[in-house]
This record gives sequence, structure tokens and C-alpha cells, in this order.
Amino acid sequence: MSGGLVCAAIDDLGRHPAGCGCGRSPETLDEAVAAAVFRAAIPQAARRRDLLRAVGATAVLAAMAETFPLGAATALAQDAGKIEKPNLKIGFIPITCASPIIMAQPMGFYAKHGLNVDVVKTAGWAIVRDKAMNKEYDASHMLSPMPIAISLGIGSNQQDWQLPAIENINGQAIVMANKHKERRDPKTWKGMRFGIPFDFSMHNYLLRYYLAEAGIDPDTDVSLRVMPPPDMVANLRADNIDGFLGPDPVNQRAVYDGIGFIHLLSKEIWDGHPCCAFAVSKSFIAENPNTFMALSRAIIDATGYANKAENRKEIADAIAPANYLNQPPIVVQQALTGTYADGLGNVVKAPDRAGFDPFPWQSFAVWIMTQMQRWGQLKRDVDYQQVAEQIYLATDAAKFMREQGQTPPGTSTKTFVVMGKTFDPAKPAEYLASFPIKRAI
Amino acid sequence: MAPLISIEGIGRSFGDGPPVFEDLWLSVQQGEFVCIIGHSGCGKTTVLNILAGLDRPSAGAVLVAGQEITGPSLDRAVVFQGHALLPWRTALGNVAYAVRSRWPRASRNEVEARARRAIALVGLAGAELKKPAELSGGMKQRVGIARALSIEPKILLMDEPFSALDALTRGTLQDEARRICTSSGQTTVMITHDVDEAIYLADKIVLMTNGPNAQVAEIVVNPLPADRVRTDLHHDSRYTAVRNHLIDFLVDRSRTFRDAPPAGYDRTRPPVARPYHDVRGVVPNALP
Amino acid sequence: MTARLRAPLLSLALLAVFLLAWQIAVSGTGPTGPAMDPEYAKLMGITATTGKSAMPGPIDVAQSMIEILRDPFYIRGQNDKGLGIQLLYSIGRVAVGYGLAVLVAIPTGFLIGMSPLMHRALDPFIQILKPVSPLAWMPLALYTIKDSNVSSVFVIFICALWPMLINTAFGVASVRQEWRNVAHTLEVGPVRCAFTIILPAAAPTILTGMRISIGIAWLVIVAAEMLVGGTGIGYFVWNEWNNLSITHVIVSIIVIGLVGMALDQILARCQRLVTFPE
Repeated sequence: MSGGLVCAAIDDLGRHPAGCGCGRSPETLDEAVAAAVFRAAIPQAARRRDLLRAVGATAVLAAMAETFPLGAATALAQDAGKIEKPNLKIGFIPITCASPIIMAQPMGFYAKHGLNVDVVKTAGWAIVRDKAMNKEYDASHMLSPMPIAISLGIGSNQQDWQLPAIENINGQAIVMANKHKERRDPKTWKGMRFGIPFDFSMHNYLLRYYLAEAGIDPDTDVSLRVMPPPDMVANLRADNIDGFLGPDPVNQRAVYDGIGFIHLLSKEIWDGHPCCAFAVSKSFIAENPNTFMALSRAIIDATGYANKAENRKEIADAIAPANYLNQPPIVVQQALTGTYADGLGNVVKAPDRAGFDPFPWQSFAVWIMTQMQRWGQLKRDVDYQQVAEQIYLATDAAKFMREQGQTPPGTSTKTFVVMGKTFDPAKPAEYLASFPIKRAI
Repeated sequence: MAPLISIEGIGRSFGDGPPVFEDLWLSVQQGEFVCIIGHSGCGKTTVLNILAGLDRPSAGAVLVAGQEITGPSLDRAVVFQGHALLPWRTALGNVAYAVRSRWPRASRNEVEARARRAIALVGLAGAELKKPAELSGGMKQRVGIARALSIEPKILLMDEPFSALDALTRGTLQDEARRICTSSGQTTVMITHDVDEAIYLADKIVLMTNGPNAQVAEIVVNPLPADRVRTDLHHDSRYTAVRNHLIDFLVDRSRTFRDAPPAGYDRTRPPVARPYHDVRGVVPNALP
Repeated sequence: MTARLRAPLLSLALLAVFLLAWQIAVSGTGPTGPAMDPEYAKLMGITATTGKSAMPGPIDVAQSMIEILRDPFYIRGQNDKGLGIQLLYSIGRVAVGYGLAVLVAIPTGFLIGMSPLMHRALDPFIQILKPVSPLAWMPLALYTIKDSNVSSVFVIFICALWPMLINTAFGVASVRQEWRNVAHTLEVGPVRCAFTIILPAAAPTILTGMRISIGIAWLVIVAAEMLVGGTGIGYFVWNEWNNLSITHVIVSIIVIGLVGMALDQILARCQRLVTFPE
């Protein structure tokens, strides 16, 4: 057991640098772990050699074991164990929300964590859900409400799904047709038609919230239509809809093609709102625990990278080609960097237009469920906290974030403000009751 | 000698109406060429179909060689009115199809040889590989005859085989048919409404009254000699006699017979007539 | 001018008129609004800055077609493969779905054609299932089969089945009675009769049904692939639509039409082989 300690020049992976000459290398995981702990305790190689020569390896080990839980450390290290299924298929919708999932392929994040992932472009949310539930995909890009809807059996068969990481925060926008340039007060929007990408989406809930705050009932005063994102631009051009709350790059594309203007960034409704998610089925996690961990690490790693402003242009260029988003790079850049044309003649600089924060706050899940109940999607009472804890894997996310050198928050719930109104996740029933416009429960 | 074909009291009705015919009796000896003549609707085609086995009588039975027939058979070959050749096969192919049906275990060479022989028999050697669409009406009917003969049937049944052809072709084919049938002694039953054709080809001519409730009025024995030549028939006075007899029947008695049958008329044994006038005034003998 | 050349020349003339009208329609420039700040203009697309029509003209389409067809078999990633490869995927699916439909339709059609009882018994099912659109079958297929490739093939199968089935039944039932009589008088057994008399007699009608069916199959696969995605010409169209690249969509439409025509011609040739003059 002590063989691996003898050479203090061993590098991080337990290998001898060239010319070390001691002739020993760690033979077991235990040895490697012990060597790593030893190095961490005494960073200077020379001092380590002195100590070993002085008291011998066994004594050093015993001393370490008293102060440091080597056994637990070994168990933890076993996390980097054999990946059960290194070749994976992950579905995605070609929007910038999925940037971490998509960019992890060309930019090597999957490979770095030992995975070979095929990211498969999919036609729409219902299809990606069906394929994910059929196990044609091992994991999937989903809208953050979708794992909740699927696990509660709303709008589809019931299957247990979990959300190990949020993909992005903010990054959406309300786009209106050019003819409405002078009609930007939402109180005047009665009778209009709006596009949304899916019933179980933050887009739907944010738009409804925004309209309701202006006194418009989203079911009776206006007409909300579900449509795939590229159809939103085409429908706007054809005057089938007056506006939409959609994902990028569709928003920027509408401006680029001269059809509409950006009326409101979604962060103005709720700064820090979740949008899309990385979702995995509970059965996948149970059958492939190591793979799940490697995958989560890769994605959280990529998300952290994406959050840094200096990386945004590089990412835009990586995901714009036909294999991924298939959009002109300048459009994707505007969406990700936040320096964009707004369709009204102004160049706006809003660097936090889109954000990438992987932490799945359980309060997000509670808020989503209140809105599901508000609009009649969820008709029965559920234990919000329990569902949120089961689906939004805040603890796991925190662990993975720490491993990648990110700083996760200390708690898994928080209060936040949506259009000036505070949401307290401990009091969801009161929150729900406080809205004048809602569907009868 | 027992007849080859014995039609014993067959009747055929369709639905609720009066029967086309009932209690019809007729016999055909081996080697005889019999023509059945009558107006349309008298059921002569029905009789032929029953003989062929394509139709079943509502009553009565048909015996061939002493055995009651229950359906179609390779022993009773049919030449259809509209040649009924398979248009996707060549002439040779059509005849070979019949040969193959008769001798399913024969080798390909044997089948082809038989087919070629039959085609040569009807005078179409050289046209074997033509498809029916490339053949004239007369040639198609010859192929039909070749097909029927190629299976060496006991009985040949022909349903107005030449009525769809022009007069010249008809004449040629009648010659062929007579040549083939007399040389091989083929037992043949043929339907026709052409009196001259019946006189030329048949040994016996069966006269049927008009339908419904048609009957076999008479069986006319052909007075003309076996070596008769079609183009010379009209010179023979016996021809005139038999022809007049037949025409008289068709014009008049075919209608009136049912209501006024002759005394002693027995359906099971229709009267035999021998209308002729021998130029020398001598009654020729030997016709049964 | 010989009579034989007249029709092709007329077609070309019509085509030229159409292309000219198309080019003129897209040549006008639309409104651009007030003059743009150059930095702003850099962020905007051609339609907004120059007012060029968003609809491409025949010249744009021709250029795009040359560019796409120059390298039809590239693979630049899971989701980005050349048009040639996508077509092969689609044709492959059509082959399997259509092939299965043939294997089911023709024997079943035979059965129905030979037996008036079966015809009456099965007819209500056929009449109800026949008009169902492939887009309605697709969700049901995905739900039960749970595999998008197999579902696409199934949808092709279920939609291509009916013309062949109905035509086969009709063709078999209307075989001329005199040919059947020939078979009877030659004591031909039912199996031999089916293969040597009924099948060749009904073949032209059957092939007509098959020709209709291949057209339907090709139509369906494009729709199914747009819905289900992954690979295929339908997916290619959808991918280009996602990018709002109308030019590529038009090129795809032309290619789809050409392949459809080619498939139809193949079946037409087969049809000529079995047709006989009466």
C-alpha cells in the first residue's frame, strides 16, 4: 500500500515524471488517493521526500488516516469510476438556450469527461419529449417545466424525470410585429394573437404573467398559439400572429429579417428566470450512475464556461453552423453577447441579456407549479416541496459545480421578484391566491 | 353401340322464369360431327356449356363414355366463340399452356413439340412466336382450335367458332376444321346458326325450337357424301333439299313446334329426318 | 416544326414564362425605412438593410442548387449531412415501407378479389382506414411503436397499402370470365390458375395501383421526416426551414419532385412490361 507514497514526484494522475527513477507507481486506487492526499497536505515535493525518509511511508499513512478520512476519500474518488455507457445520444432543439449542451460537443467538454456524445437536432418539444421517454435519447434538452409535467403525468404519460442542471437563465424576449411600434402598452393588446413554443414552457408562463399584470386575461382576451420557433418568424411575417415570446436566436432573427422588433427582454419580467434545462430520466440515473455523473459534470463545466462574457463570441461561432443551430453567426452573436439591434434603429448593449447558471433552485420548481395550477394545467394538489426536491437535483448540482471550481449557493431555495412582486417559496398557496386573473381551481 | 355422349333429360332454368329448356335428350356417337342449330335464346349455347362442364343442369344428367360428368374436363376441349386466347402469351405459349395442363410431367421439349405440331395442324407454322394482338381474327381462332386439339380430347366442343369472322376467312377455316376432324375422326359438337356451315361440316344437324321451353325438334341426317367440297355444294341437289328443310324449320316450325308437336313426338327420342332427293330416284342406304 | 417537337417546346416556353415572371416578382425592392446607422446596419440582414425581397428568385435558386449538388455526400456532423445522403435515407425508408405494403396488399387484394364474401366483410375497414392522413397516423405510431424510424416506415406502409390493395382486388375480380373458362376447361388447379391466369390478367391494374402507391409513399416520407427529424430529405427541408433559408427549401422541393418523378417512371416502366394489348 505504501509503494505509491515513496516517490514524491508523482504527478496528479499518479504517473512518474520522466527521469524520476524511483521505480514505483501507485498500484491501486487506494494508493493513488493516499498519494493525492499526501501531496495536498504537503505541497512541496522536497519536504515530502524528507518526511518519508525520516519516518517511513507506513507512519505517514497512519498519521494521515487519523486526520483525514482516506476511506471516504477513496470512495469519493471511486466516483470517477467506470462509465457504463460512454456513447450517448442527447436530443436538442436548435435554440441558444441549449448552448451548453450543444457546445459541449464541438468544444470538447464531453470528451474531457470521458464521454462520446451525439447531439441530435430534433423537430419540436413534443417530439423531443417522446423520443426521450422512448429512450431513443439517453438525456435531453428540455424546457424547465417539462420534467415536472412529465413526472406529474400532465400532458403526457407519467414517467419519472429529473433535472440535474438548468441550462440558461434569461435570454428570451417578447417580439412584436413592426406595425405595432406605436402600440407598446400591453394594456392595449386585447384581441391580439401571440405565439409560444410549448404549453409547458417558461415562455408560456412569463407571457401570461406579463399579460395578466396588464389586466389582460391570456385565455379570453388574447389568443395564445403553440408553434415551433422558426414558424414564429414566418407567422409574424405572414401576419398570423402579432407577436411572440420566444427563444433566441428566433427573436434576433425576426429583427434581422426586418419583420419585428424586440419589445421586452425576458429579464425585465424576472431577472434570473430559468428557461431551458438538461433533463435525465430517473431510470437512466439508476442504471448508469457513473455515466450520469460524468455527463452532469461535462454540462455544468460547459455552462460555467458559457457564463463568462469573454467566451460568448467563441461559443456563438461554434454553434451557429448547419450541424447545430443553422443560423447566420451574426444573429447568434447578438443573442449571446447582448450587443444587438433592437429593430427600432438602436444598437443596445445588454451583456446580461442571456445568462448560463446551472443551479436548479427548487424555488423555481415551486414557482412553476404555482403557475401550472394558476392556469389550470395542474388540477390536483401536490406537495410542492416534495416534488421540487425530487425533480430539481439541487444537492447533486452543487456537488458537481464545486468539482468544476464553481461556487454553488449555500441553500436550495430562495425568494425572488417577478415584475415587482416577491415570491416566497414557503408560501405558494398564498402566492397563487393573490392573483386576480387565474383559472378556477 | 353405346353413344359417347348421352344427354339424358337435362333442363336449365334461371331464377323464377320459365326454363330455357327442360327434359332434353340427345346422343352423339363416337366420331360424329354434330351441329346444333336454332335461333338465339333457344339455349344451344347453354347446352354446350353444360356439355363442357362450365354450367350444371337444373335437372337431368350428361353421360360421357357411360360416366356422369360433374365439371369441366380435359377430355372435353372447348373452342370459344371469341377465341379466348391469353393475350400475354404467344400462340405457341397458348397452345403449350394447354399441353402442359394435359401432361404436367412432360419435359419442356416434349410440350413444345406437341404445341408446334398442333399449330402446324391448323396451318399456322411460322407464326408460333406472335402474340395474339399480332394475329388476324382468323389466325387467332385457328390458335384456339390448335389449343383445343393439342390436348387430344375425346370430344371437341365449338361454340359458334367462326361467327365473328368475315366470310372468306370463315370459309377457309371451315375447310380446315373439316379436314382435321374427318382425318382424325374427332367427335365434335358445334353450335352454329349458319345453315350452310352446318350442312358442310356436320354428319347430323340437331334442330332446336325457340326458347323458352325449347326442345329438340328433329335430328337431320346429312345426305351429302363424305368427300363433299365446300365450293361445289350448291351444285348438288341434295344440298338444296336439306337446306330448304333447315330453312323451313328455322322460319316456321321453330316457332310453332312447341304448340303443335307431331304425333308420337317423344322427347327422349327426337325424330330423325333424312330430307333428300336422290337424282337417280334411288333411296340411298346405310345411314343409321 | 414536326408535331413531336411541339409539346416539349411548349413546355419549355411555359417554363421560361414562369421563370421570367418569378424573377420580376422578386426583383423589386421593398421599403427600408429611415437611413440606418452603419453600426446598426452591420447587425441586420439583407432584407432589412437593402430591402431585397426575402423570397429568392430563380437565379438564387439555381446558384444554390449548383452549390448543394456539387458536394451532395458530405458529412459535417450528426445533424449536417449532404443532400445525397439524406435522399438515400429517405429512399431506404420508402423501400422498406413500400416493400412491406406490397407484400401485404397484393395477397390480401387477391383474397378479396377472389372471394365476394371476404370483399364484403373487409370493405368497411378499408373504407374507414383509407382516407386517414399520414400525419394522423404518426403520433399513434410513435406512441405505440416508440421508435421514430420504425414509426416512419409504418406510416409509409399504412398509407401506401390502400391503392395497391384496392386495385389488386379490383383487377382480380375483373379477370375476364372467358379466360377463367379456359382455365376450367383445362382442369387448371386454383394455385396454377392464380399464378398463370389471374395474376397476368390483373397485372396491369395491380401495377397501376403500385404506381399510385409509390407516389403516396414518397409524399408521406417527406411529411413524416419533417415531423420526426433526424435524417432524410424531409428533415433536410425542415432544417433549412429552421434557418429560414427559403432558397434551400425551394431547392429541396425541386429535388423531391425530381426523385418522385424518377420513382414514378420506374413503376411506369414496370407497368409497360406487364401490359398487353387486348
